[in-house]
Amino acid sequence: MSAIALPARSARRIGPTGVVMLLLLPIALVNAVGFLWPVVNLLRMSFKETQATGALIDTVSTATWATVLSDSFTLDLIANSVGVSLFITLLTLVASYPIALYLHRSTGLWRTILLVLVIAPLLTSAVVRTYGWIAILSSQGLIANALLFLGITPPRLMFNLTGVVIGLTEILMPYMILALLSGFGRLDPRFEEAALTLGATPWKTFWRVVVPLTAPGMALGCLLCFVLAISSFVTPKLLSGGRVFLLATEIYDQAIVTLNWPVAATLSMIVLVLFGAALALYTRALRRIA
Amino acid sequence: MTHELKFGAVKRNTVKLGAAALALGLLTQAAAAESTVTLMAYSGLFQERYTKAVVEPFMKAHPDIKVTYFPVNSSAAMLGNLRAQKAAPQADVVIMDVSVSKAGTDESLFTKIDEANAPNVKDLYPTARIPDVAGVAVTFDNLVMLYNSDAVKEAPKSWMAMADKTYQGKVVIPGMPDIQGLSLVIILNKANGGTDYLKDVSKGIAAMVEIAPNIQTWEPKPEVYAPIVTGQASVGAGWNARAQVNNQTSGGKLKATIPQEGTVFQINTINLIANGPGGDAAKTFVNYALGPEAQKAFTESMFYAPTNAKAPISQDALDRTAVKFMDKVIPVDWIALAKVRDAIGEQWRRRVVPASR
Amino acid sequence: MIRTAPDEMAGLKQGEGFLSLRGLTRRYGPFVAVDDFNLDVAKGELVAFLGPSGCGKTTSLRMIAGLVPSSSGHIVVNGREITEVPPYRRDMGLVFQSYALFPHMDVARNVAFGLEMRKVAKADAAARVREAIAMVRLTGKEHHRPSELSGGQQQRVALARALVVRPSILLLDEPLSNLDAKLRDEMRNEIRDIQKRLGITAIFVTHDQMEALTICDKVVVMNHGRLEQVGTPLEIYEHPKTAFVAGFVGRINRLAGTASGGIAEAAGVKVAAPGFTGPVEVMVRPHRIVLSAGAAPAGGDLHQLSGTVARATFAGDILEYEVEAGGVLMKTEAATRGGETVHAPGTPVTLSWRPQDTFVYTAS
Repeated sequence: MSAIALPARSARRIGPTGVVMLLLLPIALVNAVGFLWPVVNLLRMSFKETQATGALIDTVSTATWATVLSDSFTLDLIANSVGVSLFITLLTLVASYPIALYLHRSTGLWRTILLVLVIAPLLTSAVVRTYGWIAILSSQGLIANALLFLGITPPRLMFNLTGVVIGLTEILMPYMILALLSGFGRLDPRFEEAALTLGATPWKTFWRVVVPLTAPGMALGCLLCFVLAISSFVTPKLLSGGRVFLLATEIYDQAIVTLNWPVAATLSMIVLVLFGAALALYTRALRRIA
Repeated sequence: MTHELKFGAVKRNTVKLGAAALALGLLTQAAAAESTVTLMAYSGLFQERYTKAVVEPFMKAHPDIKVTYFPVNSSAAMLGNLRAQKAAPQADVVIMDVSVSKAGTDESLFTKIDEANAPNVKDLYPTARIPDVAGVAVTFDNLVMLYNSDAVKEAPKSWMAMADKTYQGKVVIPGMPDIQGLSLVIILNKANGGTDYLKDVSKGIAAMVEIAPNIQTWEPKPEVYAPIVTGQASVGAGWNARAQVNNQTSGGKLKATIPQEGTVFQINTINLIANGPGGDAAKTFVNYALGPEAQKAFTESMFYAPTNAKAPISQDALDRTAVKFMDKVIPVDWIALAKVRDAIGEQWRRRVVPASR
Repeated sequence: MIRTAPDEMAGLKQGEGFLSLRGLTRRYGPFVAVDDFNLDVAKGELVAFLGPSGCGKTTSLRMIAGLVPSSSGHIVVNGREITEVPPYRRDMGLVFQSYALFPHMDVARNVAFGLEMRKVAKADAAARVREAIAMVRLTGKEHHRPSELSGGQQQRVALARALVVRPSILLLDEPLSNLDAKLRDEMRNEIRDIQKRLGITAIFVTHDQMEALTICDKVVVMNHGRLEQVGTPLEIYEHPKTAFVAGFVGRINRLAGTASGGIAEAAGVKVAAPGFTGPVEVMVRPHRIVLSAGAAPAGGDLHQLSGTVARATFAGDILEYEVEAGGVLMKTEAATRGGETVHAPGTPVTLSWRPQDTFVYTAS
């Protein structure tokens, strides 16, 4: 093997690193065009200003950032959005976990049928499903009528936070179930049997063996649902009745109704920062549990 | 769902797609007619009625001009389109809310409309010409109190009927930042002794706080009219033109009235887009849209009040507009109001919404 | 000691066995996985459940562990009926074929798990964990994750984890199947040594007759959910009760024949077959056959069969032949001592074996 032959060879061939780069190129391009460029535009927009009439002023200033960050309403919005999204994520996890576990353990045709049932809602738009919830939760809806029949005065189930939580939880459940399932690979029934024979009650077995083994799936599902919850606006818009203030609906209002694009862009950047924080938290959690 | 957030990006893409579709459309139509005018205006009911009442008759009268209707669902979205196309506009004429057209004017998106390029401007009501706005008013609408005629037998006399205990959970109002909520604040502010809404609306806000506990939703969807037609809600506030159409289509289930405290006008302007591809044909269309014939046809079709004083509107249609109740119309300077809108919104958020919980 | 007849609880006296199974049965719909299994295991015994896959040996073990409910029958340990007791109160130590070590815990925490569940005091538990890890020679690997260990090491951790709780019975489910051949021999002896040292009663499920014969005190041969034979390795090998046992445990030559009047004739050989009539199978193990060149010398009371060599295989320590005789291929093998002639194919030979090495079974 002569040292002179080497460069000649590598010049003719693309090395393994080159192949990897080449294969990554399409997705990198798609990301650059479909994600990075819009984000850069948003960032740029957040440094513009608007006149009181809504007209855009094409400048570079931190005025919008200063206004948004000094407004206590912004902090309320962030706290509220993060809190509500975390609560919805937790509720989605609790509601989805038993379903995912059952699905993981079922086999054959039954499993296929269940999987289709889980995925089916994803084929319908969130708007349609939200209207479904409106029909169920309204004061003349299914639940209210059932409660009335039982002699209970129904509480307000929608056009408030309750409605947003119920609607978003259901809409996010398929994502959570799929994420959990993808993370259940390590969950071999032998582990549970081993724990049982070692004297662990089913309850102990669940907490000491099943939960830790499924933790990566839970972390992934929670990350996904948190990000989806904090960024969704259709369902909150339709079910909140204007009573719940969230970042995503505020961005919509600023962009579409009030026409203040710089403020909308600034709030969007804040959401992006929250995404980053969630991702960092997820990475740290994963390192601890894996 | 995440991409909903990056509306800027999505918007830009849809704009490009729309522009491409538009360009394709323009090419194919160019063969059929000498020139083409692209009209950007509201989608849905407005598109349906405006096409029948104005666009089609115009094309019949001007066989050499083809008008393409490019529907957009809100004034803000129209402005978004225009901003994206500023370098190479794809549309010629846009019908939008006056406060949005003010923003567009300030961004130099429009050419001024006056007697020189649209002679019919001379016959417009004085209120149809808005200072510092390039376009002129093409429709007037006004806020009305809506009620379900099954639940409410007699037309409510006052907006404050909405605060009545009997309507608990049965009131629907599109809340701020929607201008219907804002309009109600201004009406109630004046009714309660407020003088200058640009300086202080606390009396209007206080009145809204009284109504708030009865509110079912501040975000009636798809619009405020549907829940009242179905009986989901009993009373509410909405725009007259759509209320009148809904009154007809619901067989009278939804009714509209102007209570004693009065109403305010909502103004749609027609604007000539600077450097639009249609050229002089666009001016011809604008002039026609402002003319008595078009004004009459559209008022009789959708019950927007006309902006042309000489439009010979039928009595039946006039009865459904605010024309008869001009004394009840509180003058609002939407341009000046836009400057204090955020501050009013702040009070709304801090006082009115919490009272509705 | 061995009961093959159905028995009732009434007939169960204490002290009959440390572990007693009575009429243990498991059905899956119409399929009977384990059929009327009766067994007594003495304290400190190492018993093999031996059989081909699907014979019911693993199901039996899992019923003893409580992981599979029995359809009927009884399980009694040390005089206490545990048939309905849930697995976590059975006090069994189970070692899985796949090790089933908790991947999210290190070696020490895996071993400590059972003690923790039994709420053993921390200091005491730590000492016992240390001791158990030392017993399986893994001291120093306490803080390794299972994924960082070799298969043999993982199996030793599994053994330590099962034993540290001092279970009443150690259950081993094919513990050596996932190991390579050399490691398997080593682990086999290690398991045997530890079991003897602790004096623990153990059940060892395997499909490998070598494992069963070499380390177990007693072998239970199963087939199609039924118990075929129970006995010491010697009994099983030298006196297989059924054709299945004879064929499954060790290698064997089969000759089809017919019996009448207490004599069975197969391929011209007449063997004693008291009590048999009709078609039979006559069997003899390859290494019990003596092969000699040429025609047979009158062999006294030996059974003899002439044939020709079809194939000769010299494997170093043994010399194997396949001999065409009486219409079948007979296999023979003999340990090499040096200086043997390897007969070429086609060589006429005589096969001789002792009557006591001959098994006769009714043909199935």
